[in-house]
Amino acid sequence: MAEPHLIAEYVDRLASKLAFDPVLSQRVRREAEDHLWEDVSADPAGGGPEAERRAVEKFGDPDGMAAQFAVVSLARQARGVGVATIVGIAAVFVAMKARLTWYVVTEYATGQSGKLGEVVVTIDRYAFWLSVLVAIVGWLYIGACRVPTALTSQYRRQLRRFALLCLAGAGALIGSVISDGVLTSLRLGGTRGSLDVVIPVGSMVIEIVCAAGLVRSIRGMAQRATATGRVARPG
Amino acid sequence: MLKGHLDMIVLAALAAGPAHGYAVIEEIKRRSSGAFELPEGTIYPVLHRLEHAGLLAGRWTTADSGRRRRVYELTKRGKRELGERRAVWEQFSEAIAGLFKGSRSWQSPT
Repeated sequence: MAEPHLIAEYVDRLASKLAFDPVLSQRVRREAEDHLWEDVSADPAGGGPEAERRAVEKFGDPDGMAAQFAVVSLARQARGVGVATIVGIAAVFVAMKARLTWYVVTEYATGQSGKLGEVVVTIDRYAFWLSVLVAIVGWLYIGACRVPTALTSQYRRQLRRFALLCLAGAGALIGSVISDGVLTSLRLGGTRGSLDVVIPVGSMVIEIVCAAGLVRSIRGMAQRATATGRVARPG
Repeated sequence: MLKGHLDMIVLAALAAGPAHGYAVIEEIKRRSSGAFELPEGTIYPVLHRLEHAGLLAGRWTTADSGRRRRVYELTKRGKRELGERRAVWEQFSEAIAGLFKGSRSWQSPT
């Protein structure tokens, strides 16, 4: 009869408990495997299934460990979204500036925008700087939150506040991108098939992709937070 | 009580130099003369959390056995944090010691 590979079974079980975060799961598997084999080799009995059993027993309950890892994973995801928000906004800013510079360099003839154009420019400006402000506040906020050992109600509240800040920032950024779209179409109005429209249209595509990516990353965080929250024990 | 001070214990164990999880737990056992017995796996969520907080830096190495191993060490922030926690602990411990030293049996007010 084949000997049971207790360590392999144990690390498989532990890794499967952390399936909500594949990178973390892989890392924990490696660390736990190294630890357990190190313990077996230090066992006075000199290895064997009994030493494996002792090592696994000393290592502890995988459910309890997964619950603690889940909180760290949530914190990491939240910080990642904070960084993604700032990077997304910066990319939109660069695309916007590139388009405006292109207009100046090529002395691009402007379409008739009139009063509507002025209103949209104002909305664009305020929406963009609001998104910058909210993103910075959110990033600083989540960075200052201390990660607890268990998913406490206070930490849940902090994560919820952060998610709201991200949503507000993304909402403002979407407002700014829509305004940019309106302004670009007003400016390019009447242009037919000219190569000069490539840069403005290309920069608009970049802005839309960035805004969509940001919404996707916030949605991903919310979904993963729900999955992680199921594993993390409330503290 | 041990759980509440696990961060400080791990930081203190790493003050001697970089170490992997197994070595950290062995160091804790050795320095506490076996007083701190905890499930060994408990150390890993703590190491991850401290790394996330920027108090530890981790890197992968290859052990003599050929296995991949993550080694942790205190960052500058980690050293500062340990210093602060040590100062608070010493103050607290002195205060408690003072309380115990000053204890005497109560005389009944007869």
